Amino acid sequence: MTENDKDIIETEPQPEAPKKKHNRFVQYFINLGARIKGWFVDKFLTVKDFFSGLFRKKPKDEFAYDGPQLSKGEKFRRGLKAQSGWLFVAPALILMAVFTFYPIVAAFVNSFKQGYSSTTGAFNGWGFDNFVRVLKGDTGTGGANFVQCLVNTLILTFISVPLSTLLALLISVGLNSIKRVQKAYQTILFLPYLTNALAMGAVFATFFKIIGTKSYTETVGMVNIVLGWFGIDPVDWVGATSPHWQIGSLSIPWAKYIVATIYEVWSGLPFKILILFSAMQSINKQYYDAAKVDGASRWTVLWKITAPMIMPQISYLLVTGIMGGMKQYSAIVGLFGETMGQAYDMGTMVGYLYNYIELGQMGYAFAGSLMLFVIIMIITFINNKVTKKRTTYR
Amino acid sequence: MAKFNKSAAEGAVVGQWDLSSGGEKFDAEKVRKREKTKYIIKNVLVYLFLTVCAVLAFLPFYWMIISSLKVEEEFRESVPTFFPHTFQWKNYWMIFHQVTSESSTNATFGRILANTLIVGLLSTFLGLVIIVITAYAFARMEFKGKNLLFAVMLATMMIPGELFTASNYITVAKAGMTDSYVVLILPFLVSVYYIYLLRNNFMQIPNSLYQAAKIDGLSDLGYLIKVMIPLTAPTLISITLLRFIGTWNSYIWPRLVNTQPWQMITNWVTGGFVDRVQPDGFVLYPEGAGSAYGTMPLDTLKMAAVCMVSLPLLILFIFCRKYIMRGVSKSGTKG
Repeated sequence: MTENDKDIIETEPQPEAPKKKHNRFVQYFINLGARIKGWFVDKFLTVKDFFSGLFRKKPKDEFAYDGPQLSKGEKFRRGLKAQSGWLFVAPALILMAVFTFYPIVAAFVNSFKQGYSSTTGAFNGWGFDNFVRVLKGDTGTGGANFVQCLVNTLILTFISVPLSTLLALLISVGLNSIKRVQKAYQTILFLPYLTNALAMGAVFATFFKIIGTKSYTETVGMVNIVLGWFGIDPVDWVGATSPHWQIGSLSIPWAKYIVATIYEVWSGLPFKILILFSAMQSINKQYYDAAKVDGASRWTVLWKITAPMIMPQISYLLVTGIMGGMKQYSAIVGLFGETMGQAYDMGTMVGYLYNYIELGQMGYAFAGSLMLFVIIMIITFINNKVTKKRTTYR
Repeated sequence: MAKFNKSAAEGAVVGQWDLSSGGEKFDAEKVRKREKTKYIIKNVLVYLFLTVCAVLAFLPFYWMIISSLKVEEEFRESVPTFFPHTFQWKNYWMIFHQVTSESSTNATFGRILANTLIVGLLSTFLGLVIIVITAYAFARMEFKGKNLLFAVMLATMMIPGELFTASNYITVAKAGMTDSYVVLILPFLVSVYYIYLLRNNFMQIPNSLYQAAKIDGLSDLGYLIKVMIPLTAPTLISITLLRFIGTWNSYIWPRLVNTQPWQMITNWVTGGFVDRVQPDGFVLYPEGAGSAYGTMPLDTLKMAAVCMVSLPLLILFIFCRKYIMRGVSKSGTKG
C-alpha cells in the first residue's frame, strides 16, 4: 500500500465513533427504557401544561390590544365558553368513568382480594391467592379449568387463523384469475360474512350431531354419512362420548377441535377474502405485464409479485384473526351448548370468565380476566414486532 | 370445445404437411396446442375449486332453511334429503308459541322481539347522539386537556372488553338495575372506536365551510346538524347498522344480567324448542295425550328459530352490503 492510497482511504468520510458497544439484548432494553422514559416525560409535560394552563395568567403586554375592556363576569363567561367542549364530551366521559375506567381499576384491585364476595364486598386479606388457585384449577366450584381453557383457545386460534388465511388466499387468487361470473362467486362467498355466531353454530352442530334413538328414526349426521362412504366408522363429534386424548389432567378433545376449526374457517373466510381480493385488484397491472414480457411463470408471478404486494393485508388479517381468536366464545356456545362441551372441555378464556361470573366467584373472574389481558398484551406486542418487520415491502 | 377441435385438426394438418421439410413449424404448433390445453385445464380446475367453495359457503344456509321446513321424522332419516318431501310451515307457528324455558316467567317470541327492537333502537339512537357530539367536540372544539383525554380514551381500546364485564356486573347488580332495558343499553352507549372514526371524518371537512357557516349566522350546533352530519352520512349509516347488528347479536351481557322475559333474541335461540301441547290442544306430532317426542328438543324447530334470527341479518347484509363492509373492513370486528 502506497502513501497515496492511504491518504485516499483516510479522507473517506468515517462513520461516527461508535458509542459503547452493548450486547444486542442489553442494547434493546436500553432503547426500550429510553422510549418508555420519553413517553412518560411526554405525558408528564402534557399533564403539567394542562394544569399550569389552568392557573397561570398570561404575562401582561402593555401595548397589546387585548380586546374591549370586559367586566369580570363577562370575562368569566367567555372563559367558560372556551371550555364548553367539556360539556360536549361530558355524557361520554361520565359513562366511560362508570363503565370503563372504574372497571379497569376495580379488576386490578379486586383480583388481589382473597375470598372476595361481590355482594358484601368482604374479603380476607390481600395476595396472589386467586391467581394461584386459577392457575392450579383449584377453585373448588366445579367450574371451568383455566389451563384447559387457555390450551383450547391457543390451539383453536393458531390452527384456524393460518388455515383460513391460507384458504382465503387460494380463493382470492382463483377469483382474481377468472373473468366470467366473478361477481356471482364473490356474492355467494361473502354470504357468511354477517352471521349470528350462536345461530350458525347450531346449524353446524346438526351436521355433526348423532340424534338419539328416542323416536322412530335416527341419523348419525351428515358428516358421518359422508365419512361412511369411505368406510370410516361414525364418530361422536359434538356429543358426550366425543373422543379425546388425555394428557395428565388436560383433555384434548380433537373431534371437537375439528368441528370448531371447520366452523371458524367457514365464518372467518368472507372477511379475509374481501380484504385479500380487493388488495389483489388494486395491484398495478403493469407489474404483471412486465413479468409476462420477462417470461415469468404463473407460480413465480404469484410468489414474487402478488404475495409481496399483499403482505401488509396478510399480516393485518393474521393480527386481527389472532386477536379475535383469543376472545372467541359465542361460536363455542353455539356448537357445544352453554356448558362448552362435556364439563367445559371446550372452554375458552372468555368462556372461563363468564363461567365464574355466573358462579358468583368474582375473585377468580377478576384474576382470569387480568390474565387474559396480560396474554392479549403479550400477543399484541409480538404482533407489533413481527408486522413492523414484515410490512416494509411497500 | 368446437374451437379447440378445429385448432387441433389444423395442427394435425399443418404438421403432416410440414413433416417433409423439417420439424420447426410442427413443434411451434404443438407447443401452442399444449399451452391451450393447459389453459383450459387450469381454468376448469379454478372454476371447480371456486364452485366447491361457494357450495360449502352456501350449504349451511340452505340446510338451515330446508331443515326448518321438514317434518322431524324426515330430518332424522338416515339418508338426508336435500328437498323437503312436505313443507311443514307449522314449525314456525310452533316456535312463535314457545316459551323460552320451563321456568315460570314465560317469554314469547313477541316479547323477545319487542325487547330486541326497543333496546336496539334506543341504544342505536342514544349511542349515535353521544358519538356525534363527542366526536364533534374532539374534532372542532378547543378546550384544555382535549388531546390528553382523547389519548386516554383511545388507550382503553387496547384493553379487551371482557375485563370490564365482571365489574360492570357488580355495578349494575348493586344499583338494582337488573331486569330492565336500562342495563342493556347504558354500558354500551359509548363506543370509542366509532368516536375515533367519526372524529377523523369530521376533521376532513374543510375549515372554510365552518367560517362560511359562521358568517351566515349559524351556531355551532346548527353547523353540526346542518353541515357536518349530512356530509358524514355514509359513516353514520355504517355506525347505525353495525350498532343495531351488535344489539341483535348480543348474548353474553343479557344472559348475565337479565332473567328470561328481559333477554334478547340470541338468548332465545340458545334454548331448546319442544313440541308443546298448546292450550287449544294443537300439537305437531300427536301421540296419546301429549307429543310423540315428549319434552325432547327438536332440531327442526331449532332450525326454524335459527332462521328467524339469521335471515333478517342475511337480508340486511344483501341490501346494505356497502355500508356494512365500509364499517367492518376498517375495524375488523362486527358490531
